[in-house]
Amino acid sequence: MLKIEFDTYTLANGLTVILHQDRSSPLVAVDLWYHVGSKDESPGRTGFAHLFEHLMFMGSRHAPYPSFDAIMESWGGHNNGTTSNDRTNYYEIGPRNLLETFLWLEADRLATLPDVITDEELERQRKVVQNERRQSYENRPYGAGELVVPESMYPPEHPYHWPTIGSHADLEAATVSDVREFFDRFYRPSNASLAIAGDFDPDQVRALVDKYFGWQPARPAPERRPRPAPIQLAADVTRTLTDRVQLPRLRLAWHAPALFADGDAELDLAAHALGGGKSSRLYRALVFDGRIAQDAFAYQGSLMLGSLFHVGATAKPGHDLAEVTAAVDAQLNRFASEGPTEEELARARNTHLSDFYKGLDHLQTRADLLNHYQYVLGTPDGAERDVERYRSATTASVRDAFARVLAGKRLTLQTLPEAARA
Amino acid sequence: MTATPDAMTRAPAVAPLPAVLVPSATQFTLSNGLPIVAIHRDVAPIVSMALMIRSGSAADVPEQAGLASLTAEMMDEGAGARDALEFADALEHLGADLWVGTGRDGSQLSVQSPRETFFEALDLAGDVLVRPRLSDADWHRVLSDRRTSTVQRRDQPEAVVNVVSDRLLFGDEHPYGRPVEGYTRTLDRLSLDAIKGFHARFWRPNNAFVVVAGAFDEPALRARLEKALGSWQTQPVESSPPVPPLPPRPRLCIVDRPGAPQSVIRMVAPGTDRLSPDRPGLAMLNAVLGGSFTSRLNFNLREKHGYTYGAASSFAFLRLPGSFAARASVFAESTAPSVREMLAELAGMHEQPITAEEHAKAQATLLMRVAEGLSTTGGIAATFGEMGLYGLPLDEPNRFVAALEATTADDLRALAARTIDPGAAAIVIVGDRAAIEGPLRELGLPAPVIRDADGDPA
Repeated sequence: MLKIEFDTYTLANGLTVILHQDRSSPLVAVDLWYHVGSKDESPGRTGFAHLFEHLMFMGSRHAPYPSFDAIMESWGGHNNGTTSNDRTNYYEIGPRNLLETFLWLEADRLATLPDVITDEELERQRKVVQNERRQSYENRPYGAGELVVPESMYPPEHPYHWPTIGSHADLEAATVSDVREFFDRFYRPSNASLAIAGDFDPDQVRALVDKYFGWQPARPAPERRPRPAPIQLAADVTRTLTDRVQLPRLRLAWHAPALFADGDAELDLAAHALGGGKSSRLYRALVFDGRIAQDAFAYQGSLMLGSLFHVGATAKPGHDLAEVTAAVDAQLNRFASEGPTEEELARARNTHLSDFYKGLDHLQTRADLLNHYQYVLGTPDGAERDVERYRSATTASVRDAFARVLAGKRLTLQTLPEAARA
Repeated sequence: MTATPDAMTRAPAVAPLPAVLVPSATQFTLSNGLPIVAIHRDVAPIVSMALMIRSGSAADVPEQAGLASLTAEMMDEGAGARDALEFADALEHLGADLWVGTGRDGSQLSVQSPRETFFEALDLAGDVLVRPRLSDADWHRVLSDRRTSTVQRRDQPEAVVNVVSDRLLFGDEHPYGRPVEGYTRTLDRLSLDAIKGFHARFWRPNNAFVVVAGAFDEPALRARLEKALGSWQTQPVESSPPVPPLPPRPRLCIVDRPGAPQSVIRMVAPGTDRLSPDRPGLAMLNAVLGGSFTSRLNFNLREKHGYTYGAASSFAFLRLPGSFAARASVFAESTAPSVREMLAELAGMHEQPITAEEHAKAQATLLMRVAEGLSTTGGIAATFGEMGLYGLPLDEPNRFVAALEATTADDLRALAARTIDPGAAAIVIVGDRAAIEGPLRELGLPAPVIRDADGDPA
């Protein structure tokens, strides 16, 4: 039975608290999830959840900019935040003597951020985020292709239609009143969970959480848009882009079951058997034996409202995407009809479980996993349930889950070298 | 309206930093003299092993750049009783990762596995070290993939700036002057015999050091290591040839990337070696300049001006003196102002001496970095593995901590005066030449030398 030890309780204002003690190092990690991501953005304001994450470091009433970073770094702590389609997390890692400071800083920005945010701060972080977009997508080989996957797979009204980083035009349009409105709607204790991991005394930490978060007013959890029905593409879609790259790359995507839905774990295992290692089917057929591709990959991109199953390969010099696509399709069709062998399934499962154990080595990763289960399953106690999905998958269940995905319509995205445009 | 409690209105008091916990290590040698350091930790049910070889790409001759790295890459393409695919399957079946790689000063075989399968993974590692197949068919495939990846490197501006700045700083004849992975043209000069030769000459237990960290079965460890690695034969390892002096370097170099939305800026200057007594102080000085979020470089370029997603600096402390580098990827139209600000921050290390607050921050940052590095199984293996690579004693983390604690703000100021020279840096930029050259010249910089993605004149 796999278990990450924890205690959990809920404050009167709705904040979920999760405590995980580990005294093997004199460190603590504070990991705070807000249940808001790019899926909660409004049209014309794509990228806002992520831009907002940046603004959370722009100071609060009692810790004016730049004290958030300056105070913790002066004691050797560090921090970051990340935004996905589904959620936003903030974390701090540092020596145990900083735990109270971390809680105070997080609590103060939850209590006061909209009172102190300014146009000037928004403007500065807008530029930082626009640089992030350029660095992570526009100036990175094949990065531009990643940006068109969401719009190709989801209709305009779907919450996954746009990428988390947003568009330059929407980032430009964001205002301070958008910031206040977004904060007011989503940054509430009842829409968050706070995981604290590391070297602490449980009684002391409960008192500290109460001191800094307990007084904050209760407000109901935000109203959500109705969950969209699972969708399929009506027809196959082909998109062709050019980029500053030497070699053409093929990328395929299908709709797939949502995170923790039936088939989600099976598709992780299928992805491993298809594109996970040297003897995975795509790697072996295209790279190792066929020598027509430089790389080949497959992965299940699991999200709460619905997942995408991705496959891709980069053509070797002298080979084109028609040849690569034909070879990929032959492998996918074969896998959909025969499924993995028992040995392939065992390898995929062992690799997955081993990766899971490795994640448990890191303090903040454990805190983040507890928050993840709290958000998706409604309880931090999800490790065993999570892992059991992979243990109980069979060759038939993997085959069937994959065959259902492959039967759907797909996106074919081709990224070609710029020279090929003419 | 809820009243704000008094406790919210001011920062809480902070107790003194906790002491850094250095895990206790057991040291022993196998029958062939191979030194082993074992550190038990059972927070996660995994084991990490790092086997370090004290020869890396610095052992390549210039015309065969890439040899050390391709040797490492070939070693797990089949070993012992298994061909390349069977070997990969066997590892996956154990849920084990095994990778072989190369850096400037060393090569490394790493294993990470669940504790239940570690000893079986160790046997596979023994096959890789002692009985790699190094077959002709695998060689042609691996070489072809490497050749393609050196072509693809031209697509990646961050990789290009690394290649070009190292080449300009160290020069073609210096062990650090060429990319670890080689150039497309040097790969054409390699052969499987050269790979076998590199393996036979350098992958020897008398040139190696092993760290095992994690939840291993302690009573069985020594015997299982002896079984897997004890038959590995020693052989004298040749010493390195003399090192040429650094060549003169241009002040400004542009690698043209027409239409690039960002410019990747790198300022490089000569650095210091791993065993230098200046290292703790330089690490602290770097934390102030560009080694943390609130560092001067990041605060200026990202937070004050919004030119970049992040600006940073670092020292590469190597067996020979390495490099100092300051870096940022910036809006193309902000290239010249970014260069101006970066140079100003380098000069600022003299003109605005390090404050008491900056000194305290640097000290705490470095101390807690040590603590965090020692707080995971992989981090422990990496920390002790790096020590082994440079022949440092097992109490090196304690010595480093003591040196950090003993370094004063005055020491840092003196060190900055002695080591940071904004005029000495070569400024290498991968970006849209047509858009950036004019504004850069207006800063008073000389005409740039123009290089291609491999650092050849373009």
